[in-house]
Amino acid sequence: MKKLLKARELSSFLFLIALFLVVGLINPSFLSSENIISCFNDSVVYIIISVGMAFAIFIGEIDVSVGANLGFTATVVSSMLRDGENWAFAFAVGILIGALIGLFNGWGVSVMGVPSLIFTLGTNGVMRGMMYVYTGGAWVENLPAEFKQLYTVNLFGNISVIFAVTAVMVIVVHMLLKHTKRGRYFIAVGDNPAGAALVGIPATRTKVAAYVICGVFAAISGIVFSSRIGFVTATSGNGYEMKAVAACVLGGISLSGGVGSVIGASIGAVIMASISRLLVFMELGSTYDNTITGVMLITIVVVDSLMQRRNAEKNRRQRLAARTAEAGEGGNN
Amino acid sequence: MNKSFSDKLKYFLKSWEMVLICIMAAEFIVFGLANAKFLRPALLFNSMNDFMSICIISLFVTFVMITGGIDIQAGAIVGLTSIIIGVSWQDFGCNIWVSVLMAVVVAAVCGALSGFFIAYCGVQAMVVTLGGSFLYAGIALLVSNLASTASYQGISGFPDSFRVLAKHKFFGIVPSQLVIFLILVVIAYILLHRTKYGRRVFLVGVNPEAASYSGINTRLVIMSTYILSAISAAIAGVVLTSYLGTAKSDLGSNFTLNIITAVVLGGTLSTGGKGNVIGTALASMIIGMLRFGLPLCFKIGTQYLDIPVGILLLVVVVGRSMAGHSVTQKLMMKFKKSKAA
Repeated sequence: MKKLLKARELSSFLFLIALFLVVGLINPSFLSSENIISCFNDSVVYIIISVGMAFAIFIGEIDVSVGANLGFTATVVSSMLRDGENWAFAFAVGILIGALIGLFNGWGVSVMGVPSLIFTLGTNGVMRGMMYVYTGGAWVENLPAEFKQLYTVNLFGNISVIFAVTAVMVIVVHMLLKHTKRGRYFIAVGDNPAGAALVGIPATRTKVAAYVICGVFAAISGIVFSSRIGFVTATSGNGYEMKAVAACVLGGISLSGGVGSVIGASIGAVIMASISRLLVFMELGSTYDNTITGVMLITIVVVDSLMQRRNAEKNRRQRLAARTAEAGEGGNN
Repeated sequence: MNKSFSDKLKYFLKSWEMVLICIMAAEFIVFGLANAKFLRPALLFNSMNDFMSICIISLFVTFVMITGGIDIQAGAIVGLTSIIIGVSWQDFGCNIWVSVLMAVVVAAVCGALSGFFIAYCGVQAMVVTLGGSFLYAGIALLVSNLASTASYQGISGFPDSFRVLAKHKFFGIVPSQLVIFLILVVIAYILLHRTKYGRRVFLVGVNPEAASYSGINTRLVIMSTYILSAISAAIAGVVLTSYLGTAKSDLGSNFTLNIITAVVLGGTLSTGGKGNVIGTALASMIIGMLRFGLPLCFKIGTQYLDIPVGILLLVVVVGRSMAGHSVTQKLMMKFKKSKAA
């Protein structure tokens, strides 16, 4: 089982490398270290939001309100910073908003039992409207310069501090998920909700927790977003929910829940964030952005589903063969 | 005979459609009281032009959701149809009706492609149509690059014979879009509730295993619902292009919330197996009226309209799941008993 998970992340990592190499073959100037590092630096917003999304998908649900969550948090935090609020206070408010949105989604999905796509679609609409209410449709501009510089501070080489922090965070989250009891609850609940409940895992509470975590990560990505872009419009964060889902799928997380890791999600996020840059180097222009994303997403899920089906078939045959031969060697699962 | 009629009436009065009719009546009363302009027939009929495309798509997305799937690519297909009509007419010199036919065929192929992946490869409908919404919106953008005009301007100047499609007014007042919608309601109703095909759609939604054991080609049925919803999106695209007089690649990009809300509010179970066309038709009209009435009567900007629609969706789904919860049911039983006593 563990091997399988590893293989899934590895294959998306290999896919990322292959993608870079192909573009490098077409345009050698792509393969400079500076350029590749900035591919990673530029994907921080996507990584954070996708890690959050991964939690929702682990438990076998989905959260399409993260885009609006990102936008709303970015709006609130940015306008507080613009008005000279204390940074820590502003960030705390932002994260609290994200957590509350997540809590609401978690209540609707796991306590009330509403299908997650429909419930979070509703939340998405409401939050998107709230952004207009909050700003009156105006842009939030004139953020403090130090806040905007936060995104561009480099550690060593060209690696930005914010990317390094994010990478460490992803690894810590990964460790917590794999090596703590509570962390494993998420995967267990997604893998087999009824079974998880039977062995005493609080399924409902775990699901709510997953949504809260998802909301908090969306809020953090909203803060990073406003630092990176430097202003927030009423449509900021539009479509990020779809990109985050796509990143998770690209990273080998199964949408039926219970399979995958946040490292996979991060790799998927880097792929998603790099597409427009790759296209520029292939001299195709960003108009191909959506098309390529769509083709990649559909191809990967279809191939994944066909492979899973073949594996299931193979396992079934193996079991059958083992039973008919009455030998113990065939039944290895 | 008489009794069965009264039974039917009773049944109807208790049905979800009756609730929807009441909501609609309430809308008329509230909006009418707030601003008498709302009740002017000319204005009311005119306003329908703005949301008819959503109503048209919702009708057939109902089919998809009854099979237990979901379709979030319909909005992208609206834009794709629109831009194909524009580009093939303006830049390739096709006859406008040939362009329309081409666009509808392309849309059907798009629907078939997504439907194929969902039905035959067993991928979740949600992901495939998510990918589809990227893909078809992307293709629409690429097609719009073929045009000689800038994509943000759109393509306009269509011949009158095409524009009249959505601009004509029957009896000088009833917009042709409403007529098209009503015709589609009848078609969808007959298809879903009066034909073998409709029964199969329901059966696949209730229990796909049982359906396939009873000799139904479940995969084909599932795929066909996506083709139907794509064709309806294409029709909406044609009507919208004709009404606006402009072909743009991003038309319909924000329809998803409205479509899903209309279908769910109409009484379709998102887990499949239950739903009906009349409910969806009524619900989509309710949403349309809301989108027209709120700005007119309460001066709420059109940007804010996602809030009421979103809240409506949340209230309906939560309310329905509460009604399904055992606690609420017990309360209801108690209530009934106390009434009987």
